[in-house]
Amino acid sequence: MLKIIIPTIMLMPLTWLSKKNMIWINTTTYSLLISLISLSLLNQPNNNSLNFSLMFFSDPLSAPLLVLTTWLLPLMLMASQHHLSKEPLIRKKLYITMLAMLQTFLIMTFTATELISFYILFEATLVPTLIIITRWGNQTERLNAGLYFLFYTLVGSLPLLVALISIQNLTGSLNFLLIQYWNQALPDSWSNIFLWLACMMAFMVKMPLYGLHLWLPKAHVEAPIAGSMVLAAILLKLGGYGMLRITMMLNPQTNFMAYPFLMLSLWGMIMTSSICLRQTDLKSLIAYSSVSHMALVIVAVLIQTPWSYMGATALMIAHGLTSSMLFCLANSNYERTHSRTMILARGLQTLLPLMAAWWLLASLTNLALPPSINLIGELFVVMSSFSWSNITIILMGANITITALYSLYMLITTQRGKYTHHINSIKPSFTRENALMALHMTPLLLLSLNPKIILGFTY
Amino acid sequence: MNMFSSLMLASLSVLTLPIMSSILNTHKNSTYPHHVKNIISYAFITSLVPTMMFIHSGQETIISNWHWMTIQTLKLSLSFKLDYFSMIFVPVALFVTWSIMEFSLWYMHSDPYITRFFKYLLTFLITMMILVTANNLFQLFIGWEGVGIMSFLLIGWWYGRTDANTAALQAILYNRIGDIGFIMAMAWFLFNTNTWDLQQIFMLDPNLTNLPLLGLLLAATGKSAQFGLHPWLPSAMEGPTPVSALLHSSTMVVAGVFLLIRFHPLMENNKTIQSLTLCLGAITTLFTAICALTQNDIKKIIAFSTSSQLGLMIVTIGINQPYLAFLHICTHAFFKAMLFMCSGSIIHSLNDEQDIRKMGGLFNAMPFTTTSLIIGSLALTGMPFLTGFYSKDLIIETANTSYTNAWALLMTLIATSLTAVYSTRIIFFALLGQPRFLPLTTINENNPFLINSIKRLLIGSIFAGFFISNNIYPTTIPEMTMPIYMKLTALTVTILGFTLALELSLITHNLKLEHPTNMFKFSNLLGYYPTIMHRLPPLANLSMSQKSASLLLDSIWLENILPKSISQFQMKTSILISTQKGQIKLYFLSFLITLTLSMLLFNLHE
Repeated sequence: MLKIIIPTIMLMPLTWLSKKNMIWINTTTYSLLISLISLSLLNQPNNNSLNFSLMFFSDPLSAPLLVLTTWLLPLMLMASQHHLSKEPLIRKKLYITMLAMLQTFLIMTFTATELISFYILFEATLVPTLIIITRWGNQTERLNAGLYFLFYTLVGSLPLLVALISIQNLTGSLNFLLIQYWNQALPDSWSNIFLWLACMMAFMVKMPLYGLHLWLPKAHVEAPIAGSMVLAAILLKLGGYGMLRITMMLNPQTNFMAYPFLMLSLWGMIMTSSICLRQTDLKSLIAYSSVSHMALVIVAVLIQTPWSYMGATALMIAHGLTSSMLFCLANSNYERTHSRTMILARGLQTLLPLMAAWWLLASLTNLALPPSINLIGELFVVMSSFSWSNITIILMGANITITALYSLYMLITTQRGKYTHHINSIKPSFTRENALMALHMTPLLLLSLNPKIILGFTY
Repeated sequence: MNMFSSLMLASLSVLTLPIMSSILNTHKNSTYPHHVKNIISYAFITSLVPTMMFIHSGQETIISNWHWMTIQTLKLSLSFKLDYFSMIFVPVALFVTWSIMEFSLWYMHSDPYITRFFKYLLTFLITMMILVTANNLFQLFIGWEGVGIMSFLLIGWWYGRTDANTAALQAILYNRIGDIGFIMAMAWFLFNTNTWDLQQIFMLDPNLTNLPLLGLLLAATGKSAQFGLHPWLPSAMEGPTPVSALLHSSTMVVAGVFLLIRFHPLMENNKTIQSLTLCLGAITTLFTAICALTQNDIKKIIAFSTSSQLGLMIVTIGINQPYLAFLHICTHAFFKAMLFMCSGSIIHSLNDEQDIRKMGGLFNAMPFTTTSLIIGSLALTGMPFLTGFYSKDLIIETANTSYTNAWALLMTLIATSLTAVYSTRIIFFALLGQPRFLPLTTINENNPFLINSIKRLLIGSIFAGFFISNNIYPTTIPEMTMPIYMKLTALTVTILGFTLALELSLITHNLKLEHPTNMFKFSNLLGYYPTIMHRLPPLANLSMSQKSASLLLDSIWLENILPKSISQFQMKTSILISTQKGQIKLYFLSFLITLTLSMLLFNLHE
């Protein structure tokens, strides 16, 4: 694993030592190389995990997320070029350093063997993200957003620390690999219910669960493009990853503790997608759509069947790429119209036909058109929730319908219709932007050819 | 015999060639549409060979290749089912598409994005082929959603128009409601039979199939525009006419019926679902026929007649005759596509005028289109020995002689009669009488693309029914004997419809109706359905999402409960507890006092 971590750390000196005109090229190429190296992790030859050391390991669950993380760094760098173009060099370097630092933490989080080191790194990812949001956001509301982001996540995750210490006392180990074999059921007591809550809430907030999701739209809307991308694509998935890992040791409490959260997620999924129908702000719409998709993941994880785990993992990867792509598209609109309001960007298909094609593809994957991996994820979740309770199909079906509606509403509002006069003289789309979209889309399409590599450990 | 499957695959895969070449950019843009048209004709000719082999030997085949993935116990692979339904439908669809492609060469010739239009049509055709030949539910779902999305794109082809975008979104909305049913059926089959392969599902023959079949019925309702989810089909006429001809008459909209036909092995034992299907179909066929009566947009009338025919197909499935329904799908494709093309020809010639009240007298100006339109309408009404007769008459006869719901039967019969009425109306207003269009329109139908494409379908509309029903092996036992009045029912009601409509139309020339009656309003406003259903539920839903979901819950309650209340609480307590009040003088004074006091104390100590 060090062969990925050390190069990622070395990204920082690379940034600082690069010449002025080379910083973007150097860092992008280098991070792309790192992501190519990490692809080899997708090959998981045996049922056990790949143990590299006592500190780091990877298994079919963490490998796709890890590859997604490394894949996203070059994309974030490509996406940020424009809005940093007016910044002084040193700030650009600082920005790239932050991204590289975040990447390092994320890689280590996904590969940590020990729960406690997972926890520490999970918290550590907050720091660079917070800096990115509050330093490079566009409006003054970014400070408020940063505050929300920090406090929601911290308040949610501090009980986890206590819980982890108590588990350490109970079992003598916090090793993921050992926990799998520790099949002792937790006794049925009040304190264990709180243990369950403490363990899950940290990740529920991160996902986010409906009701605890307020930080997410704010952070998404205020963050610069790279921040939005990494938030939507990876930081939310940390929650899902953590839940998938930690539910293993929380039986049998999950069986009955899951009910309120399942209900809340099912309800919240409808609510948040309904909110999307009324959004005028493009980034906020995409953010709420993330909440709605992540609610599906929460449902899937809490149902705890092999199918639902597969669905959750597939949906996380699919949504990571899709929402990141949507944010990139939103950003390319923002850089031209200087507004996030959708109605101001209508009729763009006439002016930027290729961009409209990317919009179309992104919207279609967002509404889970078969045979994309988004559909595989959603379908598996729907299947498992149907087998859990037949009635959920009503809510799931409603959500599927609303998702299609707001995705296409977004597409129609931004791309279709007559174009407005104030966007007469916009710049054509750059090759950089098209390459960026293509790099999001290609993995999505290729993965739908062979989805089994992202189906996680229950495949 | 081994060439059977390979020829079929060849005919399907040849369709993907233009898509590939457009990715590789090996074609010239100006000839691309012709290229697509030719490819489809090749695919049609190729597909004829396996179809003839199939008709000759009746051998059904399942091709399974390319293992996609195995999830636990569920194996998913690329699998084609070459059975009666797909083998007959593929050439029919390819033939119709071929003609429509040629027609679009004429109709869309001035469109700057004609290449893209052809790509869309071709992609649609491919997804339709996937749908028809799919052997497992997942593959079927790919085709099912694919045709839905392509219909969205094609309806919204003129994306500058608000109406087109609304219609496209509406189509997706209704289709998605249907998809809920499809997904539920998939989930149920997975849960209960652990497979998505059709033949395995049928072999296992699960009990208590009400739930999945209801799901499939919902799916068919959405896709085939049955009552309740029907308004998208007439709205879809916002798309270009070739799109209406291909998607919304002959191929995509029959996908729902096709799905039910595919699942008839499960359905034939389930009486509950059958009666539901029957009633749904009967309501649809009557309701949409009534709506068609008073429309003035020529495309809308034909769209409603499509909807009505789809209702008839669903009725046929409801009386447990899937093969007959399938026959009607095939014959219907010919004349309905042709009717749309004729209307396209008229619309194009009259400078995009779609209102039949502003037509008239086209009998002289457009003889060829007129001929085709009349033959198409006659075929639609089931005139003996035209194509429609072979399926429609049989359906009515079978319905007459079956132990079926008399109300459903009556409704179907009335709808059959109304078919003649609205067909007459089109003929009367558009073709006969005096011209009512602007005098300076240049009417020219002498374009080989137009003539050839319509001619091909015209021949199809006359002979296809005979050919198909003569060649396929007998699938259902025909009614050997029946009273003469039953045999003649279909014909009688149709003739009745014709005469009535002719009389009524003549009356409109001489006698003007003073006030529109309530019946007229009901029919003209589409049964008030869009007025109610497109206003109240969306309004309720959208205001719910704005007011309760977004404002009340997100912006007020959730903000107040957690972040705001906490910060408020902290602020209050810190103000209350803190001794810091900003009174600098007092602080300094107390500082001074303590200092002096301590000094004094220290001094006193010594």
